[in-house]
Amino acid sequence: MKVKAKLKKGNVSVKVLAKSPMAGKEEAEKKKIKVEFITHMTAKVNGKIVWEASTGPFLSKNPYMQFTFNAEKAGAKKGDKVEVDWVDSNGKTAKKSKAIK
Amino acid sequence: MQRRKFLSLGAVAAAATVLPASLSATDFRKTAPAAWEAASSAEAIKALFGDAKMIDGKIKIKAPKLAENGGAVPIGMKSKVEVESVALFQDANPRSAVVVFELGESGVFDLKTKIKMRKTANVTVVAKGRDGKLYSAVQKVEVSIGGCGG
Repeated sequence: MKVKAKLKKGNVSVKVLAKSPMAGKEEAEKKKIKVEFITHMTAKVNGKIVWEASTGPFLSKNPYMQFTFNAEKAGAKKGDKVEVDWVDSNGKTAKKSKAIK
Repeated sequence: MQRRKFLSLGAVAAAATVLPASLSATDFRKTAPAAWEAASSAEAIKALFGDAKMIDGKIKIKAPKLAENGGAVPIGMKSKVEVESVALFQDANPRSAVVVFELGESGVFDLKTKIKMRKTANVTVVAKGRDGKLYSAVQKVEVSIGGCGG
């Protein structure tokens, strides 16, 4: 998973590139692979949740996410870490944190 | 405060938190499983947001009119309205719901993601504002090569 966070004009924009085949039932059957897709992603700053996504298998493979939050309202500043984690349909989890640039 | 009065206040507060306003890791796959099984956008939206009237024209969808690769169609959604949750639906796959975002109080409604579309179809965005109102937008995306399993 790749995470980038950048502070610009008071807002922090975060880009996430997760790694998952995002294969639902139909796609898994067709490709003869197991069903595997991310079901939930969370982003935190200083322990506080700023963004969440409940996801399904119709996001693209290795899904890309971009979101923005207000730095002041979130109490975030340059150098603070944005922590992103996700869980998939098989219970597998991943985590990555990156300092705000 | 009288105990009885206090308890009844608690019950009202509990009823009001069906869709939590503060973020505490809500997994919509668990709280609204029916929405994820619905084949059409209309059904999925109803399962997730109910029958309330939608306000048009406040959300901007940024999507290609013609997507060459249906495996990763970039969809951007944006609005000045302050929202607590945003859901994305399409009618190009076996099931309609793609993703439900929840924004914290610091959240800015400016989201982008990439989705699979195996044929030309409408993409619908529905957002629940902090004012309790529902906002929606629809855009048709033409797909030249399908993306589901392709």
